[in-house]
This record gives sequence, structure tokens and C-alpha cells, in this order.
Amino acid sequence: MSDPSSINGGICVAMTGKDCVAIACDLRLGSQSLGVSNKFEKIFPFGHVFLGLTGLATDVLTLSEVFRYKTNLYKLREDRYIEPQTFTQLVSSTLYEKRFGPYFTGPIVAGINSKTGKPYIAGFDLIGCIDEAKDFVVSGTASEQLFGMCESLYEPNQESEDLFETISQALLNSADRDALSGWGAVVYIIKKNEVIKRYLKTRQD
Amino acid sequence: MAGLSFENYQRNQFLSSRTNGTPKATSTGTTIVGVKFNGGVVIAADTRSTQGPIVANKNCAKLHRMAPRIWCAGAGTAADTEEVTKLVGSNLELHSLYAGRAPRVVSALQMLKQHLFKYQGHVGAYLIVAGVDPTGAHLFSIHAHGSTDVGFYQSLGSGSLAAMAVLEANWKPELTKEEAMTLAADAIEAGIWNDLGSGSNVDLCVMEVGKDAAYLRNHRTPNVREPKQQSYKFARGTTGILSQRVLDVCQVEEQVVDVEA
Amino acid sequence: MNGIQVDINGLKRGEVNLGTSIMAVTFKDGVILGADSRTTTGAYIANRVTDKLTRVHEKIWCCRSGSAADTQAVADIVQYYLDLYTTQFGEPSTKAAASIFKSLCYENKDNLTAGIIVAGYDDKNKGEVYSIPLGGSIHKQPYAIAGSGSTFIYGYCDKNFKDNMAKDEAIDFIKHSLSQAIKWDGSSGGVIRMVVLTAEGAERLIFYPDDYEQL
Repeated sequence: MSDPSSINGGICVAMTGKDCVAIACDLRLGSQSLGVSNKFEKIFPFGHVFLGLTGLATDVLTLSEVFRYKTNLYKLREDRYIEPQTFTQLVSSTLYEKRFGPYFTGPIVAGINSKTGKPYIAGFDLIGCIDEAKDFVVSGTASEQLFGMCESLYEPNQESEDLFETISQALLNSADRDALSGWGAVVYIIKKNEVIKRYLKTRQD
Repeated sequence: MAGLSFENYQRNQFLSSRTNGTPKATSTGTTIVGVKFNGGVVIAADTRSTQGPIVANKNCAKLHRMAPRIWCAGAGTAADTEEVTKLVGSNLELHSLYAGRAPRVVSALQMLKQHLFKYQGHVGAYLIVAGVDPTGAHLFSIHAHGSTDVGFYQSLGSGSLAAMAVLEANWKPELTKEEAMTLAADAIEAGIWNDLGSGSNVDLCVMEVGKDAAYLRNHRTPNVREPKQQSYKFARGTTGILSQRVLDVCQVEEQVVDVEA
Repeated sequence: MNGIQVDINGLKRGEVNLGTSIMAVTFKDGVILGADSRTTTGAYIANRVTDKLTRVHEKIWCCRSGSAADTQAVADIVQYYLDLYTTQFGEPSTKAAASIFKSLCYENKDNLTAGIIVAGYDDKNKGEVYSIPLGGSIHKQPYAIAGSGSTFIYGYCDKNFKDNMAKDEAIDFIKHSLSQAIKWDGSSGGVIRMVVLTAEGAERLIFYPDDYEQL
């Protein structure tokens, strides 16, 4: 119950659709059972790539800034934004560098490759093992609930609006069965030339 | 691997002393095997990865390419098998460029075992290394502490006992390529059915002397999911929204314009 | 560790063990090494046809017992040193090889679980056997036994060993000894491997359970 990655609570999920991907997270930041903030977003955009970070909040913030730093330098060197596939490798090597003193996070990556136009998602464990899925990836304190919801709700090749409903319901219903998650939710619907960010109506208990 | 950082080590020691345990890394659970045959060698693996009792990935790839004709099946800590294989793979390429020769399996073996021995088992990679080189076909296994074994057939991972039972029962000298492929796949299937840590599909890689390696991803798929008979699709508008914003994703182009004073 | 009683800690968790019966015997023409072929991880036999007789030089070999990883690493390093030694000074003596083994085992005693028997033939000293047990000490002996199975055959070997045996006699002695060690020790088994080191070079022998079980 109280290992480092479940002190603060929080969940994240990403799904692929037809020419689109979605990534969503809850907004709770807690300290064990005490709720601390309902504005703690766990998804960070780097160009057209989106990184979801759950786990120990201090590491979520540290890592988000490490990757802001690294992707800014990448943009400076390459004069283009980093692609999801490249970013996935960057996340992996950054986490494995700390193999024997890891960050307690479960990152997930979502984006659309600007060259090929193909949707891409990936998940990681805390030391950077890449989990390249073609349907969905989940992480956080309600990952087991998310696995169950996604496994039953997900279907391939959904339009972006249908994908939004699927990922939202998966997230919401998982969070409702986890004491450490909830308190608001954000969903990003990512298409090649358009990103929509939506705040969801959720329970506040 | 000279770049491993222990920056967070002390913090994590403190953290784990104040909490119950630390999060688990992805383990490959795994059944992996290797079988030699006349003129080559084949390795095979299942495709399940686990985090504790949860199946993290139902179709992951446990066969790693270290050189075009040297492949490696990995069990144990998933990140470690991936990284150690990548590291030695690139050193092998540098080595073969320097020597002007095709890389040898024994070189891969020696580099892997020396690396793993250095880390005294903390790098949790259990590997079956196989390949063909100018000296012929080779098959080895390596344990995380750095010990190596040689043999005509090998199995490793949580399903190694199930796989070894099949190998011991059906292996014979002078196998043909097809026989070896069947034997290896059967051994993996034994793991898939009888070991909880292994599951889903069978990946295969066949390496024949003088030929390019043939990587057969999902060679057998005995666990295809039954398509859903009905849909759980929600009607649009089901989910309540507080607010929405369309993010700007067009790349901003900057231009310097001379302004007359 | 208090300086007097050395804490020889057991194997690290999940480590591969050479639960072993090994021996080396000098005879008229040289020396013979013998070993079983079982390696275990806990109760599981990880390899039933292991080769615990390892070459470090043409006519200098060793029998390995303890941690498979540790003994392989040590033997690899010694092989490297002896290669280097040969290019600089010519053929090394068995004693020189054993001395390198000893240095490695002694200097790293806190981190190693390695019981090694070094045996070799050189033209000046003929067959020699050096035993290097856990702490890194070195003992020159007419014959040596080691490993978990060796405890069962101390008496047998003491009674039956003779100086300057003929080759067949020495092979029989080893075969009988290891047969008993394998019989009574659960972590020894498989085939009996031997290497005969004489002026002619190294000769490999193998004996299957049918050959040695009902001697």
C-alpha cells in the first residue's frame, strides 16, 4: 500500500485509434489518504509528443523537467521536434541510467509520428523497459483496474470522438475504484494536426 | 555502461526504510530455449511479460539481435536483458569493424559474462546466446552471476523446467532444421501452457551456417483472442466535460524583418 | 569477519552452484584430473553434462568447485595470464599457474566461493597437483579431492592411493572414488569426466553411469 510509487497516487492511460491517439490522467495529488491537490496534471507535452508520468510526485516533476531540458536541447540541435519513437528511446535510456537508484515512476508516451502519420504509444517500468503496445498502455495506482477496463472497452480503429468516450470511461471507472486516484481528470485527443484537451466531470470524493 | 548513476541510491534506501518495499521492475517470467541442428541453431521464446501477477504485455519480443547472425533470448529483468544485449551488441559491431571480421558467438559470450560477473548478479539477465560465425554454429546459456554453459539444447526462465522436460524427452542427435524448429517451439509451448509466468505466442529465430538469420516473429499463435461478439462502444456525449481547449500544434515559423526607423 | 574465523558466506541467492565431486591424482607418467558433471541451482539440475575440467594452458588444467560464475571468471583470468606468460617467458610451470590461482583466490577471498584443484604436467617437475581451498591457501599434494562429494571418499582415497601408479590403475582409482562420491552426494552426478596430462599432451576420457555405477 505504501511503497514509494503509491504514496501520492494517480493514474495515466493511453490508447490508439484511427489516425489518432488519446492520453488521459487524473488530477489528484495526495499524501497517503490525505488529498493535497486537485490540479496535479500528470501529462506533459513535448512538441507533438505527450508524456504521462505517474508514481512518486517528486520524481514526476523531476523527470518532467529532465525531459523538458533534453527535448529542448534536441530541438536546438536538430531544428525539429522529437518524434514519439525517438522520445521513447530517450525515456528508456534516461530511466536505465538510474538502474540502481531508480525514479519511482511509470511513464507512458503517446503521439503521432509526424513523418508517417502513424499513431504510437508506449509504456515503461521504473527502470526503462519499453512496453510497445498497439492497443493501450496504463500506469499508476489503479493500473490493475485500468487493465481490466481497457481490456474490455477497447476496440481498434475508433474515430477520435469515440476514442475519447472509451478512454474517459476507462479512466473514470478505474479511478472510482481506487482511493488514491480521481479528483478530476484530463484527456488529450491527439490527431495529426489537432490536439484537444478536455477536463472531465468526475466525482470529488 | 560506465554511465550508470547512483544519484538516487541513498534517497531510495531511506524511502524504502520508511515504506514497505520498493516497486517491482518488469520481469519477463519467460520460457526460452535453444536447440542446435545440423548446420545451424535455433532459439525460441514465449511473448508474455509480467509485473508481479499482472500480464504487462501479451506480445513482447524476447529475442534480441546482437549481430546480424548472433541472436539472444532473454529471461529475468526485462530492462536488463534489453540493455545488456544492446550494449554488448554495439561493442560487438565496433569489434568486428576493428577486426575486419564477422563477429563470433564466443566473443559475445565472453563480453556478456564478464559484464554480468562485474555486476555480481545485480544485473538480472539470464540469456541464451546462439549464432553462426566463420567457426560454425554455437549455442550457450548465461546466468545473471556470469556463469556459462555449453550444450546441444538449453532452456532458461521460469518455464525452463517444462521446456527442459520436452527437450529431454524428444531431443536426438543429428536433428534437421525443421525438426529443431518443431522441438524448440514445442518446448516453448510446454512453458506457455504449464508455467504461469509464460504465455501467448512463440517467437523463433533460425540461424544457419552461411545464411542470413531468419527471425520468425509469432511463429506460433496458439492464444488468439476470440473477437468480441458485441461492442461496448459508448454513445458520443456519454462523458461529462467541464471545459475543452484546442491546442495549437502548428509549428510557429519565425522570420526576422528589417524595420525602417 | 573477526580475522580468525573467516566468514565464508554461502552462495548469493539464485547463484549457480557446482555441488561437485572433483579430484586430481599424480601417477607414473603425469597427472589425471577427474570430475562429475552436475551443476545445480537449488534443487534443479541446471546442467547434467557440465565440463568442470577447465584448460588454462596446454598441459595445465584445473577442477572447479563452488560458484560456477566465480570459478569460470578466475579460470578465464588465469588462462589469460598464462597466455601472456608464455609469449614472454615460454612454457609456465604448474606451480606458477597454481600461484596465480592462489593470488586471485586469496586477494578476493571475501568475494569468491571457489575451491580449485590445479593439476599440470611440465617436463622438469612431471605431474603435480595443487589444492586451493576456499580461503585461498595452497597445498601441494600427491593427490587432491574437493567439492561436496569429496567428504564421502576421504577414507577410501587415503586407503587406496599409491604413489607412481600406472595409467590404468590411476584411472580405476579415480573412477572408483568418484563413483562413490556421486553415489552418496546428492549434488554430484551425471558422467565422470577425466583428463590425462602426460608428456604426450592432454587426453580426454568420459565414463557414463553404466560404466561406473556397478563397479
